[in-house]
Amino acid sequence: MGTTVTHAPATGVSGPVAQGSGPPPPAPAPSPRPAAGRRRDRRENLAGYLFMSPWITGFLLLTAGPMTASLYFAFTDYNLFDAPKWIGFGNFTEMFGDPRWRHSVSVTLWYVAIGTPLKLALALGVALLLAQSRRGQGFYRAAFYAPSLIGASVSVAIVWKAIFSDGAVVDRAQSTLFGLDVGGWIGDPQWILYALVALTVWQFGAPMVIFLAGLKQVPQELYEAAEVDGAGPWRRFRSITLPMISPVLFFNVLLETIHSFQIFASAYIVGGGAGGNACGPADGSLVYTCYLYVQGFENSRMGLASAMAWMLLLAVALVTAALFWSQKRWVHYEEAAR
Amino acid sequence: MAALGLTAAGCGGGGGSGDGTVTIRYAWWGSDDRAKRINQTIALFEKKYPKIKVKTDFQPYPDFWKKFNTQASGGNPPDVFQNAIGFLRKYDAKNVLLDLSEQVKAGHLSTANFRAGLEKFGEVDGKLLGIPVGSNSMALVIDKNVFTRAGVKPEQGWTWDDFDAAMKKIRDKAGRAGDSGMYGVMYLYDLYLRQHGKAFFTEKGLGFTEADLTEWWTKAKRGSESGVVADTKKVVQAKPKSAVTAELAAGEFTWDNFTNRYTAEGKSEYGLAPIPTTDGKRTGQYLGSLMLSASRRTKHPKEVAQFIDFMVHDPEVARIMGFDRGVPATVEQYEAFVPSDPVAKEIAAYEQSLVDTGVLEPITPHPAGADICESAFLRLAEELGLGTRSVDDAVKQFFTESKTALGS
Repeated sequence: MGTTVTHAPATGVSGPVAQGSGPPPPAPAPSPRPAAGRRRDRRENLAGYLFMSPWITGFLLLTAGPMTASLYFAFTDYNLFDAPKWIGFGNFTEMFGDPRWRHSVSVTLWYVAIGTPLKLALALGVALLLAQSRRGQGFYRAAFYAPSLIGASVSVAIVWKAIFSDGAVVDRAQSTLFGLDVGGWIGDPQWILYALVALTVWQFGAPMVIFLAGLKQVPQELYEAAEVDGAGPWRRFRSITLPMISPVLFFNVLLETIHSFQIFASAYIVGGGAGGNACGPADGSLVYTCYLYVQGFENSRMGLASAMAWMLLLAVALVTAALFWSQKRWVHYEEAAR
Repeated sequence: MAALGLTAAGCGGGGGSGDGTVTIRYAWWGSDDRAKRINQTIALFEKKYPKIKVKTDFQPYPDFWKKFNTQASGGNPPDVFQNAIGFLRKYDAKNVLLDLSEQVKAGHLSTANFRAGLEKFGEVDGKLLGIPVGSNSMALVIDKNVFTRAGVKPEQGWTWDDFDAAMKKIRDKAGRAGDSGMYGVMYLYDLYLRQHGKAFFTEKGLGFTEADLTEWWTKAKRGSESGVVADTKKVVQAKPKSAVTAELAAGEFTWDNFTNRYTAEGKSEYGLAPIPTTDGKRTGQYLGSLMLSASRRTKHPKEVAQFIDFMVHDPEVARIMGFDRGVPATVEQYEAFVPSDPVAKEIAAYEQSLVDTGVLEPITPHPAGADICESAFLRLAEELGLGTRSVDDAVKQFFTESKTALGS
């Protein structure tokens, strides 16, 4: 699911090669090698391939094969039982004409647009607090990280559903604290998505740990120097911390965005799961993969589902490419900063 | 993400061993309570047929079909499984179902002694694709205490006007919505259409027009706005509990054998009320049924037939199952289980009243794709109740989705 766009190296790369002036010395002309050496090479290669073979087999059987098949099915009408029928771009035109599909796209985009920044902001905020040496620091780090470890599990989603249901904790809290009587979030097509957003934000532990690692790398003398110059905490954060951790920030943005696009289990379970509409009330939590699942496994339209999967792949690739393109403007690598 | 369940594992479909013992796989949907009962009946069967072992597998209803679909498409469906009318043509068209009539001819399965012509229930185009295990019918399952508190007494032959008045009375006097959201129940709408000389399905497609559905769903909209129908938002969250046992509504249109489930689930006393009519007579009702079907791929058609035969005829099985899957389909089982608890008694009395008043009619066909139409119907009615869709919009969407599902 990766992308081939690579980041152009920042200017001013320091190193022995760059320091040398003029073109590198020409490589020695290849001389005919003795046959014995070639045989040894081949033997070494063979051993290498032998050791890699479990991985290669796995890749071919479990990744490349199904992906090729799915790409083929994307252009067919396939109900699992009858032979796939080639229909060209039929699935794709049907998709764009389907209001439910368009709804699922907007639900997903909304989820990504709200959930990802909130989660990263919280992760960074908590990381800033935990970066300072305090007593019990280890405990807090573990406590904040824990939800990420268990967060993907089905049981947490079930608990989440219970918490945000009608007459449950959240419902009662919002009516006693704010006098709001909106009922449970789970039954409301407008609110159920925010229950999902809350669930992903709660799992901010993984990006937090990465932020923590990034913060440790920021040289303390920069802060000292800034303080001498009279920079306040906000100024120090903006002018030192943010630029210094921008590679880490970029990494987190990228990872979390891709991750958000693929939300499935929590939406499927909070939105209904076993028994009834799998995608929330009035499709309120009909995220893209949920609809893909419905088309594939409930309506037996594997061709259409495959086409949808490839659309998602394309969309994620485009977003990733856009992020890589944008990093030139805001990501500073250490070499460049010096 | 792109690699979508394309690795259908082909583990063997029940093998034989040296001593002639065969294993058959039996899958069904239902609750834990049903699981307990079914396991007892299987123990009984294995004692009687020591050469046949039965492996079971069960899920809740929607999950059952997802799993079944995947297994069947991978060529590995269970040998014998619970089935319902909405799936007969679908899986027949996909060559999944075994025509049991040959096993009947061979004498491994008897179609004698079925009540009220039920043995014909699983027949499609001359093929016998399912054997009924019990009969049930649509009913209005009610919370008796709430109805009494409101002073409402439903009677056979009451009209929709009577029903509407009763719902209002319950809302005003008992402070509870009368109904749980009947406008999304496909089987009830079918009855309503049949009262008007139409039906939900024809052999090939839908048996009603956009105007018909617009009328039905306009009523739905008015119902939820006036509080006669329970707040959909709350009903959705009560799931998998029913709106009646969650004390959101006084009644719900569903299958009569669900009274069992509701009694186990809720705190009140539950009973049955008749389906309202248009002309004071015709309810449009028919007997529905759960069936046992076999896979065309089974390697043991004879043993599967013996298993089905045992399950639908053995009196002891009826005593274990009770009315869990409806009133037993065969005479021997019907006579073997005499209900003693009030709920089962009520179900028996209800079904007897249907026979006595002669309201029962033949069932209308369910074309392939009916199951998808039903879930679209339910979903769109829910959206109406939640107010996220207008009536016209919902009707249009339903017809679009149904056309795709029915391939018409």
